[in-house]
Amino acid sequence: MRSAAGTILIKICEFALTALLVSFFTFIAFSVIPGDPARVMLGTDASEEQVENLRAELGVDRPLSVRYLDWLGGALKGDLGDSLSFRTPVNELIKSRLPVTLGMSLMALIIVLIVAFPMAAVCASRPGSLTDRIVSAFGHVLFAVPAFALSMLLILLFTKAFGIYTAGRYTAPSDDAGKYIASLLLPSVCIALPKIAMTFKFLRASMIEFSASDFARTAKSHGLTDLKILLTHIIPNSAVSSVTVISLVLSDIMGGSLIVEQVFNLPGLGRLLLSAISRRDFPLLSGIVFYLALITVILYFLSDVINAAIDPRIRDGRSL
Amino acid sequence: MRRRPNPKIYLVTGIILLSVIAVSFIVGLFWTPYGINATDPAAKLTAPSLQHLFGTDNLGRDVFSRCLAASRYTILVSFAGVAFALVLGTAAGLFAGYFGGILDRIIMVLSNSIMCFPGILLALMAVAVFGPSLYNVIWALGLVFAPTYARVYRSGTIELSSRDYILQAKIMKVRPGRIMFIHIFPNLMSQILPAVITGLANMTLSESGMSYLGLGVQPPAASYGKMLADAQSYITAAPWLIIFPTLMLVFYILGLYFISEWVRTTYGGGRA
Repeated sequence: MRSAAGTILIKICEFALTALLVSFFTFIAFSVIPGDPARVMLGTDASEEQVENLRAELGVDRPLSVRYLDWLGGALKGDLGDSLSFRTPVNELIKSRLPVTLGMSLMALIIVLIVAFPMAAVCASRPGSLTDRIVSAFGHVLFAVPAFALSMLLILLFTKAFGIYTAGRYTAPSDDAGKYIASLLLPSVCIALPKIAMTFKFLRASMIEFSASDFARTAKSHGLTDLKILLTHIIPNSAVSSVTVISLVLSDIMGGSLIVEQVFNLPGLGRLLLSAISRRDFPLLSGIVFYLALITVILYFLSDVINAAIDPRIRDGRSL
Repeated sequence: MRRRPNPKIYLVTGIILLSVIAVSFIVGLFWTPYGINATDPAAKLTAPSLQHLFGTDNLGRDVFSRCLAASRYTILVSFAGVAFALVLGTAAGLFAGYFGGILDRIIMVLSNSIMCFPGILLALMAVAVFGPSLYNVIWALGLVFAPTYARVYRSGTIELSSRDYILQAKIMKVRPGRIMFIHIFPNLMSQILPAVITGLANMTLSESGMSYLGLGVQPPAASYGKMLADAQSYITAAPWLIIFPTLMLVFYILGLYFISEWVRTTYGGGRA
């Protein structure tokens, strides 16, 4: 049995190692480009002089290890160099796009939690009932529609049925917070719906499992009502067990927002990423990939810490 | 639990949905009513009719023919990608679980760091570096999906390793390779099967997303994701351009989910 501090220390080391590996993967991926990177980035019709200049700018003449340490040091200080296509620091570009992607992800997560918990509670209280079967089947269908196709269908629905076309009207949060939220609402719903299905499925299973547990039976024999058992025993336990799943869902949501942004024409990280891919702007590309992956690593780390904080079995390293 | 939902319903619905895709796949290989990329300037954006069952797109291409033809790439990428992921994940999981120790640590740290790239980001990165092509999409998505299988095989192998028959085999000096692939691997089939079927569905979700972004299956080949991307400017003018490719995708993915649900409820198996 380990001490609580020991568990946290191990987690921190794992976190640092994973973050380092992720940074290494990101860097190495953009350094093993077959052929001459400068030539690849500029395309075949670039002059020899342009290629030479870019080579010097990228510093590809230096050894890989030096370049990696240089890049990593910069990344830690928040300096990822300049974008080749925009001619501005990568950092500034990412920062300007972050409100869209992060705002949308957070809104989607809130929607997922607000909808999935009651849905799962209702279904798990009477497993096998008609409501349960209909809701579960509906969940399967939601799960099966790609988020971007769902977005298009919803745009179609909103335009045809209500006469509102919401795509492509983005307002920055600094201009008008209300309009900012409104402009991200429909995209957030589109990202959230498939994830609601995923979270619902997990929560339902875990709630059914807890309903059959000893403590639920004991509570029942003490004369507690089903509703009270559900609210005070089963839902809190499921919430605890779903911390990891929720962090997975949030990471999935960020990945999904990259695509959905494109449907709604929102100026987020996804569109920046795509323009970086099409212009072969590798400094920008590696910056975006690294930051997004880093956010996920931090999420997983936090979910581990939260788990350890609330569950003594994990804290003491008994069930690791 | 009072009533268990009849798992047969899952199987039957799943088979019906998948047979739609299977039929269009087979038919699409040999015959399509119009050429896949044959344009007809006289019939642009026409609504579904007897001439064009699913209507035509902005270039006058027949959506029905394209839907038939696109199923082959959906099926190819999902099967090839899952096969790649399965080979990689199975090997990694078996070795990590069987030998444990430092090898286990290394494999798990590697697979955890792969899982830290949200969604299709890693695959997008691979395509950005190596260029968009069918093969790059397959191996890149395969790599993204491999850790899922590695985890199932690792925990399964650890569990089985303490069983008597494996201990007996070890005492009899059976080679580790033989134990892993003859004694452990087949016994984990029932655990991995639902994960494989779900993997096919998830692979299709990812592939369609990448094709939608223009980084998956490349034209002139037809793919559902690309068809939807092309249809984006005509969402309200020509809803059939969106509805039919989406339906094809949903039929395939939902069918797979239902079958995997049936396998899971019928054969027990692990939660994947």
